[in-house]
Amino acid sequence: MTLKGGTSQACASCKYQRRKCSSECPLAPYFPPDQPKMFQNAHKLFGVRKILKILENLESHQQEEAMRSIIYQANIRDRFPVHGCWGIICKLHFQIRQVEEELHAVLAHLEMYRQQQQQIAALTEDVTSQLELGMAPPQPCLAQQYSYSIIGSNIGYSSNYLDSNDNVGNSLWGQHPYATNYDTNSMPIIQSQLVASQPLASQQEEVQNYDEMHPFFDTIDDRQSYIETKEPYESSSEESLKDTAPSMEHAAENELKSAAACFTLTSIN
Amino acid sequence: MASSSYSNSPCAACKFLRRKCMPDCIFAPYFPPEEPQKFANVHKIFGASNVSKLLNEVHPHQREDAVNSLAYEAEARMKDPVYGCVGAISVLQRQVIRLQKELDATNADLIRYACNEMPAANPQFARRMGQGGVSYDQSSGIYYPSPWNHDEPCGERGDGGV
Repeated sequence: MTLKGGTSQACASCKYQRRKCSSECPLAPYFPPDQPKMFQNAHKLFGVRKILKILENLESHQQEEAMRSIIYQANIRDRFPVHGCWGIICKLHFQIRQVEEELHAVLAHLEMYRQQQQQIAALTEDVTSQLELGMAPPQPCLAQQYSYSIIGSNIGYSSNYLDSNDNVGNSLWGQHPYATNYDTNSMPIIQSQLVASQPLASQQEEVQNYDEMHPFFDTIDDRQSYIETKEPYESSSEESLKDTAPSMEHAAENELKSAAACFTLTSIN
Repeated sequence: MASSSYSNSPCAACKFLRRKCMPDCIFAPYFPPEEPQKFANVHKIFGASNVSKLLNEVHPHQREDAVNSLAYEAEARMKDPVYGCVGAISVLQRQVIRLQKELDATNADLIRYACNEMPAANPQFARRMGQGGVSYDQSSGIYYPSPWNHDEPCGERGDGGV
């Protein structure tokens, strides 16, 4: 219905109610005539009287915000007739919980990486100082193998952490309508990819370091003990060990014990 | 006042409306007489007629959830007449965005540690921020999630019926 002598069209509210839309219609600014569905949703949930009742107790600058929230709430109810905005809130709570758990897991993993790097740095410094003094045979294998065990335990730790926190006890939703959306596969995949890439690079680097130390230890007296420690790496660098194989027959007891320690750690692989 | 077949006293809705509570009263299972405020809030914000129509449009096994959601929204609107429950949605949406930023930054740190790179600025933010479509209203500072971009929970769209 159009105004007499006027050019403006009736608002969606007055159109729906089939009545004259005056210039002072309180709902006209919020329900343009080209969006009838918006008013239908608001009318279906609240009704015109209830909307006006909400607006009459508000200041003019608050009325626009109130109408926006009313229209939004009504549209959500039209899309989700059962749960409405309450369902959206439950979903957001669920998302927050999910992201928080993921964040905690990543922070824990990051902390383990930092500790691991500190330990490797400390061990490397220790070995470097020993080498300079010409004392014990090199033991970078211990640091690398220890790092492998940490990485292996990391994967299990992360998986267990996520699985144990799968249940949700939010009081807002008794039936857990959004529990099926929870996906525990994304995080472990990222972690395992990162972790899997490291041992390979470390193993290659370790072989290279071993070759570099060869000329130095050929000059010291306890070459046999050095040869014993080379055995764990036979699978990765067999050619370099071939020359020293005959010397392994005359290893001392102490060197055998230290070599056994290396064997124990390498059993992870 | 006659009592319904489900209880000895009329339901909170019929008590409030001062009418006879019939055996097939649609409100009776969800508005017990021990919770009068629940119906009072719902009636004040939405009106009994609208609630009745809404309940008739959903499956009977979904009506309890529908009533609980209406009761929640009505109470939220009573406490905050301007924003109602939409204010809570805005707050939670901001929290999700903030946590996602933090997670992206932490993941970037983790990748750097794994690759043994030096720490550097990382533009990995807002990788998942596009989900749901959020529009920010600068005048009010409220995040209004797009109502048409959310996934349907429980497949409830369009096929509600008695």
